[in-house]
Amino acid sequence: MFESLVTAVANPQRIGASCALATALLVTSGISRGEPAANVGYREAVRPILAANCFKCHGPDAQTRAADLRLDEAESATADRSGYHAILPGNAAESEVVKRILSDDPSVQMPPPDSKKTLSAEQKEILQAWITAGAKYERHWAFVPPQRPTTPNVQRPDWVRNEIDAYVLAELERRNLTPSPEADRRTLIRRLSLDLVGLPPTPERVAAFVLDNRPDAYERLVDELLASPHYGERWARRWLDLARYSDTNGYEKDRPRAMWPYRDWVIDALNADLPFDRFTIEQLAGDMLPNATRSQRLATGFHRNTMVNEEGGIDPQEFRFKAVVDRVATTGAVWLGMTLGCAQCHTHKFDPISHQEYYQVFAFLNNEDDVDELITTPEITAKRVELQAQIDALVAKLPERYPFEKRPVGEATAEPTAADRAQALDTDFEQWLEATSVELSRWRRAAPVAMSTNLALLEVLPDQSVLASGDVTKNDKYQLEFELPGATLHALRLEALTHESLPQGGPGRQTVEVPNASGEGDFFLSELYVEVVSDNPADARVIRTAKIARGAVSYVGPGLSAESAFDGKGDSGWRVLNREGESHVGVFALAEPITLGPGERLRIRLEHESFYAAGLGRFRVSFAEAPLPSELSTPPVISDELAAVLAKPAAGRTAAETEELRRKYLLTTPKLVKEREPIDALQKQLPGPVVALITRERPTHPRETHRFHRGEYLQPKEVVTPGVPSVLPPLPSTEKPTRLDFARWLVDPKHPLTARVTVNRQWQAFFGAGIVRTLEDFGLQGESPTHPELLDFLATEFVSQGWSLKKLHRLIVTSATYRQSSTVTPGLLAADPENRYLARGARFRVEAELVRDIVLASSGLLSPQIGGPSVFPDQPPGVTEGAYGPLEWKVSTGADRYRRGLYSFNKRTAPYAAFGLFDAPSGEACVARRNNSNTPLQSLAVLNDEVTMAAARKLAQQAWKAGETQPERITNAMYEHVLSRPPTTGEFAALARYQQRQLNRLEQGELDATALLQLAPDEAAQADATALTERRALASWTLAARAILNLDETITRQ
Amino acid sequence: MSDLHPLHCQTRRHFFADCGVGVGKLALASLLARGAAGSATPIAGNPLAPQPTHFGPKAKSVIYLFMAGAPSQLDLFDNKPTLAKYEGQMVPPELVKDQRYAFIRPESTLLGPRFKFNRYGKSGAELSEMLPHLGEVADDIAIVRSMFTDQFNHAPAQLFLNTGSPLPGRPSMGSWVTYGLGSEADDLPAFVVLATGTGSSGGAANWSNGFLPGVHAGVPFRSSGDPILFTSNPPGIDRQAQRDTIDIVGELNAQQLGAIGDPQIATRIAAYETAFKMQARAPELVELASESPETLAMYGVEPGKPSFAANCLLARRMIERGVRFVNVYHGNWDHHSDVAGGLKTECEVTDRASAALVKDLKQRGLLDETLVVWGGEFGRTPMVESSAALGRSLGRDHHPQAFSIWLAGGGIKPGITLGETDDLGFSITRDPVHVHDLQATLLHLLGLDHERLTYTYQGRQFRLTDVHGKLVTPLLA
Repeated sequence: MFESLVTAVANPQRIGASCALATALLVTSGISRGEPAANVGYREAVRPILAANCFKCHGPDAQTRAADLRLDEAESATADRSGYHAILPGNAAESEVVKRILSDDPSVQMPPPDSKKTLSAEQKEILQAWITAGAKYERHWAFVPPQRPTTPNVQRPDWVRNEIDAYVLAELERRNLTPSPEADRRTLIRRLSLDLVGLPPTPERVAAFVLDNRPDAYERLVDELLASPHYGERWARRWLDLARYSDTNGYEKDRPRAMWPYRDWVIDALNADLPFDRFTIEQLAGDMLPNATRSQRLATGFHRNTMVNEEGGIDPQEFRFKAVVDRVATTGAVWLGMTLGCAQCHTHKFDPISHQEYYQVFAFLNNEDDVDELITTPEITAKRVELQAQIDALVAKLPERYPFEKRPVGEATAEPTAADRAQALDTDFEQWLEATSVELSRWRRAAPVAMSTNLALLEVLPDQSVLASGDVTKNDKYQLEFELPGATLHALRLEALTHESLPQGGPGRQTVEVPNASGEGDFFLSELYVEVVSDNPADARVIRTAKIARGAVSYVGPGLSAESAFDGKGDSGWRVLNREGESHVGVFALAEPITLGPGERLRIRLEHESFYAAGLGRFRVSFAEAPLPSELSTPPVISDELAAVLAKPAAGRTAAETEELRRKYLLTTPKLVKEREPIDALQKQLPGPVVALITRERPTHPRETHRFHRGEYLQPKEVVTPGVPSVLPPLPSTEKPTRLDFARWLVDPKHPLTARVTVNRQWQAFFGAGIVRTLEDFGLQGESPTHPELLDFLATEFVSQGWSLKKLHRLIVTSATYRQSSTVTPGLLAADPENRYLARGARFRVEAELVRDIVLASSGLLSPQIGGPSVFPDQPPGVTEGAYGPLEWKVSTGADRYRRGLYSFNKRTAPYAAFGLFDAPSGEACVARRNNSNTPLQSLAVLNDEVTMAAARKLAQQAWKAGETQPERITNAMYEHVLSRPPTTGEFAALARYQQRQLNRLEQGELDATALLQLAPDEAAQADATALTERRALASWTLAARAILNLDETITRQ
Repeated sequence: MSDLHPLHCQTRRHFFADCGVGVGKLALASLLARGAAGSATPIAGNPLAPQPTHFGPKAKSVIYLFMAGAPSQLDLFDNKPTLAKYEGQMVPPELVKDQRYAFIRPESTLLGPRFKFNRYGKSGAELSEMLPHLGEVADDIAIVRSMFTDQFNHAPAQLFLNTGSPLPGRPSMGSWVTYGLGSEADDLPAFVVLATGTGSSGGAANWSNGFLPGVHAGVPFRSSGDPILFTSNPPGIDRQAQRDTIDIVGELNAQQLGAIGDPQIATRIAAYETAFKMQARAPELVELASESPETLAMYGVEPGKPSFAANCLLARRMIERGVRFVNVYHGNWDHHSDVAGGLKTECEVTDRASAALVKDLKQRGLLDETLVVWGGEFGRTPMVESSAALGRSLGRDHHPQAFSIWLAGGGIKPGITLGETDDLGFSITRDPVHVHDLQATLLHLLGLDHERLTYTYQGRQFRLTDVHGKLVTPLLA
């Protein structure tokens, strides 16, 4: 179990990190023993020591501050402390700090022994030297906006292709290092292709590039690759790590979700080179742009990538809080390169972010609702049309099967005729029309005059129904008051109605599944109360209560009844489990009629106590002013449109209207339950729209944000208004800054962090490490840039080029720095083991998804299709099936079996196994920097995964099928496809020996060509001598192809 | 090294002869030297090489039997006669003021212990009649009745116990331990995960390496198909063909190493060699039929049939082969309804094997250097859970305020019971042990100081115990 030599050698971690840190400081600051004290830089050398050892008690956090001393600010550190100074600039010996760091006395020693922190001798020297030199404090470089630096002069200007090279070369020359020669063209084209589009070049493209002797052949290739639609795929995957993209909800249940429309938005945006400032604004606040387009709304899926806990026991508001915490942390890491999350519980120990400021940023992101964007694709429409036609055909046949029960005596054995059935249907239909009309006419609708809830938002729609939105609890309580002066009420009707804003259309707001059922869109009306109250808001008395005596509902979920809604028990209720997505009706008769006197209002209280948030989503109340029949029949569910038709006299209806009524009857009458079963089955197959997840600013009722003591949800303190940390530039003055203002502030050209953080991350993609190694931390604990001026040049250039990522990528890859050979010589390794100063090109293993892409693309198996729902590539059984929320992994068929890694379905609690081995994130948290490990389990995956064998077969087949029998040419072809180069003589000789040995074993029957080639039984049966010979040859070349696919170089960009 | 094919050795010589000059050759030589010498001498570059501890360790390895779903302490470990007496009565309101529960309302009725308790061993440890086998090793284990946690939902609580944080993304205990100590096995992963039952709510994040290098991730062993993913050869490829393939891949990589000089190539070559060894080792490891009939009977293992018992036995075999940390999950303990029936079933599945593991390790002289822990992510309420809508009755809800675990071996003081709860089993009254305290103690037994085992990420030195945790000294032998 070995990992990377380089990372391990350079790993300053593990136990006792401080000495390695000091060494690193000396390197970066250029300080060593004996250098003049004046050279001691605060930012590079001093502050890191203070931050790591002192700031916890003498830093920004007032809560943990000791002795009222701050060492992070000159003012406090150098103040006269009645006769002595913590730091006396220019006089180390008289500075209390120095006395204490040099003391052996545990009672005065700093850092104190119980902190388990110790300063090395070098660190003590640095601090003393700095104080002697005047103890000059400087602002942290990353909080000062970048200035365009002057391009440095170099001794070898001929090597410089663009400004990048001047900065890199200047540093190399300072260190007496020489750049490596340019890599050969084959290496360059494979490097460029993998970097820009994530796919190896075709042998044809390689050949053309090698032969292209135009002076701008390289730049032409770059432009071609930047224009490729696969560019967006390659760069989207990197962004999705930050976005914590995944295809499931996470936590225990971990159900699938449709996040892919957001993923496709990212691909499209990158392909279109959407400027990074707009890319940012649309993802953080696309919904708030004027006339936001669907694309801009889909972009807000960025922050819907947070996980959703669907455990029964959760408090939905607590998990909403946690989602916002995640959003703040992610926003901080992605745009600011800062660990804002550290200030959730207390003021940041190292960076100047206060506890209060954390919640000010939190407030920007705390006023959005998580909503759905419904997308009907042409495929969905076509499928619906097809199924609807089948349904209509079956409905048209229902009359032929209408039961005919009564036959005149003597004809009992004869089958009913069509006429008999038609007549029966007509009779029943007429009766139904009559009964339904009577039932509907009983009810008088009313809109509430006052509404209140314990949290949800209610609004009255034009049809007098009430729509719920906003936040939920596990016992949503609605109170509705009605003005019905003088009315005498005998019963009330509650219509539970569908609405497009509700999960699965509603009628409820439940989003959590119930074991073995859907539950999404269900509600749970645990209790319904009817009361008379005063219309005077000052009078809170309940004047009278009315008891509900009887009830009937159009449908109720298993084990419950209409009575469950008024039985006084919180654990039973009216729900519509298994029939979500439809409207339902309940009628409730009062034990005694109730008459409203002057100044009285009727109040209805709905309670939804459940294990899940399960409030009604849309509903309407009507009243009956006459008694209901003694036997309550199942109340009909009739839409308003149909009710209007029904209200017309029969003669006044059009034929189509009558037909519509008849259809309703046929589809609801209990007499045809059995006959309708095939129709019901088809109805269930009707595909709904794709439910993409987006965010939307709350139009009304803005949420208050509090400071949460210790970051705990149950400890809200004072109210906090939106704002940005004071160490960063202020927001443009606006009275009430919004999320959109915040997003715009992030991409203000003068912002010190966003452009730097972004260009640094791009740099890392091309060189394996950032100019600031800690991609996720530009704060005081982060590493200093290896090339500060280069970073500032790139950041300012990026902004002045209109935030164009493609232009930035072009600038980087056309530099001489990028084009260097990555060969590692002993001298280079000794001088710069981590290649921080870039005297050679970078060489590193590609990312997990690209391992797959290379194997598929080089063999010709890859499906080039871009976008769409995630797919299920081959994976050994049991990976997702064994999860707590199991998922049956049905391997995709056809072209979808061989899509790019980016499209592989990712289940958070059981991620796609082969990718996890190659350090792909699970999507549970924002990842700014993947590990790049090199482990035996990776070797096993490439060796033995089904996809490698499939690719090897295809690769060998293609090389061999081209009519080639010469081992040289077959080997050449395979090498060209996989590695974009022919083998060396030595490589060919070794591989040919291997192939010959396998062929011998095949001929001797020790290996089975049929199994290796996965021949179908009928193919395997053709066993004439020629077929056998060819088969063995192909099998031996398949093994050779497998070996090539397993090479280090295959999964490395070099 | 006896399982190596002669060709392999030839190839190795070939590497040294042909792979050119420079660092690549040196790096490769150093990587392979370890295997050639057949010793576990630490070498630069192997992040799993054994590491020095902070102080003298008691335990070398850990078997953590994780009872996912949270078993009821009130029916297994923490006998409450008073609770029996007040069964059916409302819980005193002052007890549940400000408490939150997952499913029940705080104001519910009490449910007495469902089982009789007996005293076992010289120590007189009190255990439920559901745990007769554990009773046989009562003098070897330490029972903690005063565990508590911050989390009351499964996934966050499991993550909290495993990683010290309720949110995914932090390294798990096993990852921290292999990061701190390295591994003694070079043909098996250092940190292995075994599971039976419903799976764990926290999912793969429970054994994630978080921000630690990938080599510290827990590797799930599977009970069907390949024990480790991708350990069997593809159809048509026998062990010889695989050996030949690893040789040719190694040879070609070595040529490339000679030309390019990147030490990563040497690491890759070594990884393929280890992979090949794992392919042989993993199937051998899971071949339980090689155990004596007495051992199989003691655990209750039927070879070839996946079970919790088989996983306990596997855990012992892994420890013997140098695996550092084995997480054995069993996931059916979430008894919201019929806690008595549920416990009966699960105890039948787990009691014999858990106790057998302690006995077996002791018989083999391994218990002293192996820490065994048994426990769930939180406890269960003294109040009853029942619900018509969910068809639940006589169950218990989640209870983070108090739960019980036991530990054995690896420097744990045997035959003690630590901590007490009040008469209703609601709150801890003596010696509370927070999850971070347990983690700190576990690291301590392995010779690691939880405050010094750190990893810098995002500008912060992270620890398993965050900024908390104190050593539970009464548990130390």
